[in-house]
Amino acid sequence: MGTPGGAGSVEGADDLPEAADRRLGSGSFSSALTVPDFAACLQMGLQPVGLVQGFCVMQWGWYGANSPYMRGASPYAPSGGRGGYSATWQCPHGFVSTEHRMWGQNYEQSWVEAAWAQGFGSAYTRLVEEAHAIGAHGVIGVVDRATHLADMGVTEFHIMGTAVVVDGGPPPPGGQPWTTYLAGQRLAKLVEAGFMPVAVAATMASVRVWAYCVTEYLMEGGSWAWSGGPGTQEVDQIIHAHTAVRRIAREHVRQQLAGDSLQGARLLTSARRLSEGDEVIECTLRGTRVRRVRDADPLPTPRPTVRLT
Amino acid sequence: MSDRTSPSPPPSDLRAEMLEAAKALAGGATGTGRGATSDLSIDETLLLHAAGWEPVDLVCGVSVASVPYGVWNWGQGEIVSASESHNLAVSAAATRLREECAHAGGRGVVGVRVEIEVDPHHVDVELTGTAIRPLRASPGKGQAADPFVSDLSARDFTLLQSAGWAPVGLAFGAGFVYSPRRTAGTALRQSGQNVELTNFTEAMYSAREQAMERMQRSAIAMGGQGIVAVQVTEGPMGFARHAIRFAAWGTSVRLQGSSHQYVQPQVVLPLDDVVVAFEAESLRGQ
Repeated sequence: MGTPGGAGSVEGADDLPEAADRRLGSGSFSSALTVPDFAACLQMGLQPVGLVQGFCVMQWGWYGANSPYMRGASPYAPSGGRGGYSATWQCPHGFVSTEHRMWGQNYEQSWVEAAWAQGFGSAYTRLVEEAHAIGAHGVIGVVDRATHLADMGVTEFHIMGTAVVVDGGPPPPGGQPWTTYLAGQRLAKLVEAGFMPVAVAATMASVRVWAYCVTEYLMEGGSWAWSGGPGTQEVDQIIHAHTAVRRIAREHVRQQLAGDSLQGARLLTSARRLSEGDEVIECTLRGTRVRRVRDADPLPTPRPTVRLT
Repeated sequence: MSDRTSPSPPPSDLRAEMLEAAKALAGGATGTGRGATSDLSIDETLLLHAAGWEPVDLVCGVSVASVPYGVWNWGQGEIVSASESHNLAVSAAATRLREECAHAGGRGVVGVRVEIEVDPHHVDVELTGTAIRPLRASPGKGQAADPFVSDLSARDFTLLQSAGWAPVGLAFGAGFVYSPRRTAGTALRQSGQNVELTNFTEAMYSAREQAMERMQRSAIAMGGQGIVAVQVTEGPMGFARHAIRFAAWGTSVRLQGSSHQYVQPQVVLPLDDVVVAFEAESLRGQ
């Protein structure tokens, strides 16, 4: 599920706290840039105008016992969510017992992805709104984090960056500031290479694995009994889920790119094991969406050097 | 590399370039075609561009291989099933990474991030990197019959290429071994003495050699002549302290021409002083 990162509208998101208005209107600027990044920023003709940020605290109830998105009643039914990835595995043994897992299913948890996108998107929209409010053209050096508050079932999304104005530059398209994770020399190199940042792009994919008997046995060390061979084999259902969650995350971010490129991507995956074979796999993908605005010749071939120090 | 070095370009006007880029964005410039996705830094991207390559897509290869029940119980010698699981998972993940690269139209994958987790009942392997292709290569898919896979950074890849070598693939080898036991009598006799525990030495020596031998065998199998940037990890398993894992991997390389190309680095004598860190203790006169 893509987030509104880069495509979100600042109009209608007038929900900033009063303190934010007072801070942004105080007449001085603040910046999270390091001194070298700050100097590089000025060298590029970018004037820092303020430290901008966005928060969103989300309560997610999708793993609770009463969740409506538990395993489907039939292996032939579509996934619990709305569309998306789904795959089913059938037990090769026939009826063994009522506890025997006769079928298994992997499916994309699109409601989880939507919740993540809503949290990230709301925080991002507030960041852009703050930047817009102080007349910024862009936001550089963006950092974001998602913090799980213990024992409360809630997650806080926090995004912040330094709003800048391009000296003599036109207002950004649609009045919406561009955003980037880059700052300082890395941003300068990007621009010199003929690219311009458009927006931070971030997405999350979630896949739930309901193991069938073979997956359960393999994941609890029962491969010797079932394979009859050397006792080592790949666990197809889990691999399928891991492959799918990464593919989905990349597809979602592709939808945000709209023909642009993703620079400096960070792909992180985590698996939360619920029981042998049953797990939730989540994958987040972040990066800066960049657009080529002019052709650039390759740099001269670098010369290897040895420093006498 | 040094022979083809052109003179440094005049310093660019960053301010003018930034302004020009902002105007182009405001002027409605749009994305063209299918953009690249990459986990390379901007430095690595520019370096690859200078060397004639460009990123295509972020690619992944994953595998999970089962470990049979009971293999971690105390025994002697190598834990064969665990070693087999490890090697199966790694080779399958690398194969999937190559397939994704070929599907994306890449000629190889650089900067592969290797993540291996050993669980009592399964070995999980995740490989993530950026598929690259020569500049101006046809964007058609599936053209690379046998893309290379490398965990070298773009910087190391470029340097390797300029020295006349090419990466072939990731060479892996692993071995698991039980910590050998001593008899009660032997333990008593050795108690309080400076003495080599020869059974430990032999078991661990052998396991290390096995892992590295498997790595070299896999390099030869994929047509490599050597391995660079070898990494070795070892240590007891958290869930079975009597079992020790040895794993070795690196990028298998092959000479492209008839001989190695000497890069002839330029010697540089920097005239800037090394920054001296401030020491808080100096305030106390110490």
